[in-house]
Amino acid sequence: MPYYLRKRLTDLSINIVMLVFLFVTLMPIGWMLFSSVKNSTDIAIGRIGLSRNIEGHTEIHWENYVDLWKNVNFGLYLRNSVVICGTTVVIAMTLSTLAAYALSRFKFPGSDLFSNAILATQMIPALMYLIPLYIMFIKFTMLTGLPVKGTFWGLILIYSAFFTPFSIWILRGFFAAIPVELEEAAKIDGCNQFQVFWNVALPLAIPGIIATGIYLFLNAWDELMFAWVLTNADTMTIPVGIRLFVGNYQNRFDLMMAAATVATIPVCIIFFLLQRYIVQGLTAGAVKG
Amino acid sequence: MRPEKEGLSVLSGQINKQKKKPVLQRIKQNRIAYVFLLPTLLAMLFLHIFPIMQGIYMSFLELNQFTLSQYLLAPFVGLDNFYKVLIDVNSPIRIGLFEAVRNTVIYTLLVTVGTLGVGMVVALMLNRKFFGRSLVRTLFLFPWIIPTYVTGLLWGIMWLKEGGLINVMLVDWLHLLPFKPSWLTGANTIWAIIIPTIWRYWPLSMLMLLAGLQTIPEELYEAADIDGAGPWRKFWMITWPMLQPVWFILILFGLISNTYSFNIVIMMFGFGAGFPGEWGDLMMTNIFRNSFQLWNFGTGAAASVLLLIVMVAIVNVWFRLYKQAEEVR
Repeated sequence: MPYYLRKRLTDLSINIVMLVFLFVTLMPIGWMLFSSVKNSTDIAIGRIGLSRNIEGHTEIHWENYVDLWKNVNFGLYLRNSVVICGTTVVIAMTLSTLAAYALSRFKFPGSDLFSNAILATQMIPALMYLIPLYIMFIKFTMLTGLPVKGTFWGLILIYSAFFTPFSIWILRGFFAAIPVELEEAAKIDGCNQFQVFWNVALPLAIPGIIATGIYLFLNAWDELMFAWVLTNADTMTIPVGIRLFVGNYQNRFDLMMAAATVATIPVCIIFFLLQRYIVQGLTAGAVKG
Repeated sequence: MRPEKEGLSVLSGQINKQKKKPVLQRIKQNRIAYVFLLPTLLAMLFLHIFPIMQGIYMSFLELNQFTLSQYLLAPFVGLDNFYKVLIDVNSPIRIGLFEAVRNTVIYTLLVTVGTLGVGMVVALMLNRKFFGRSLVRTLFLFPWIIPTYVTGLLWGIMWLKEGGLINVMLVDWLHLLPFKPSWLTGANTIWAIIIPTIWRYWPLSMLMLLAGLQTIPEELYEAADIDGAGPWRKFWMITWPMLQPVWFILILFGLISNTYSFNIVIMMFGFGAGFPGEWGDLMMTNIFRNSFQLWNFGTGAAASVLLLIVMVAIVNVWFRLYKQAEEVR
């Protein structure tokens, strides 16, 4: 067999394997979307395909989504998640941009210690923060009468602190990739050190900041353990709301799948609008780091 | 400093010159760096160091729902909590602890290997030129965007005995099994949590490995072609060593994040409130249950401290191994 023919055959078979695997990978997601517009019995007995009514016509149960909205206070959860995750991203990115710039540009007493401390925080189990913080919050409220557990600010503060080290770690790679010569030129032109950061380094690091910010948002959106313990009925985020709802409607599989879909849609939208940044940004940071 | 000396020491490098300066002067010189770090330092002091110190101290306290309001003044019991976790067979926290440890070890190892293996294979497949490559890559990233709590919920329904998609596929469509196995009870449970986790996390490994593959210069492969190396040899002699830094990071983060896995398991069983069964329970779900459902904060803190010690040891060993491997190269 000639060389080019053999190469084409190999390529073709790899493509086929890849497409089959792609189909298998996406199947659970397709099943989730599909099940969210079926009726619960059809899911429970494992009838694949759309539900049919008594006359045998297929029907799409869009009313699952209406039911979901009526039974669960989904609008509230959505708002809480957006407020908490959005504020977290703003605070954490401000902190980590400043810190990452300082770490990538200056070699000062304590910089190595700080870099190591950042990596070390990643090894600590979340429960080690959660147990003391939970008791601290309760005690603080007992002493001062100010509520902390169950407020937005309690969770936002914790999330910001919790996600900052990892963002510093990714962002440091981006700042390190910016040529120092640009900053030196600005210094010669008479910029002070803050102006150099603000006018030269920051604009160049924007793609990295966006990528890290989105990654952080997705992580905060996904956080269940802290939110479970530290929110109440008014400040519940989506994962906590879904957990509660799923516990109460144990056999309404259709509503569960509708809830799962609604929880996924916002992150999907964000991802596909900004995926160019995420893919470039995360991989650039990781490969260099 | 004399100018002629400085001229001579150019070769010995900038770093050497900096190190000779006294600490105070270096602090002064880098004042702006400390200003930039200050907010993060404060945040980490109050929300990392302070709680962790307390967490370690709490592991020596008898802290439960009755003594909760006494906070740090709760009765000091010394190493009693550690005794309960490690030695005392009759203590309530010991129920299921052995199973949780065993499951966590199996789960972490298999998930880390699985995500890296699948990620590597797909990264190699995507690292060719073909029509629609970036679309396929984007579609492959899809599972990674699904929130983990949705992953747990979704697969929890997919694993159902009668109507779940898995059993319908395996038994009704492909006839691979003669009967419908029950995935969410018994020893099958461990697969029911491993497979969704691999499904959720492999795209991230794929993305990182693909980026690593694209940094390998084409000339290396061309040179190998001239030398007559086959695809296997090229993989083991070029691709594999060049990707080692990426593997190092991915395995490190895989070990850490999988050991601390929580969302998928908690959402899959009993729909968020139940006991995952003796083959489904992990360390985090176990300690969480003890702390926030049985209100044993002291033993919970002690178990977290032990978990942290083990994790630090694992990470250290991993760093050492990597250093050694690098020196050998």
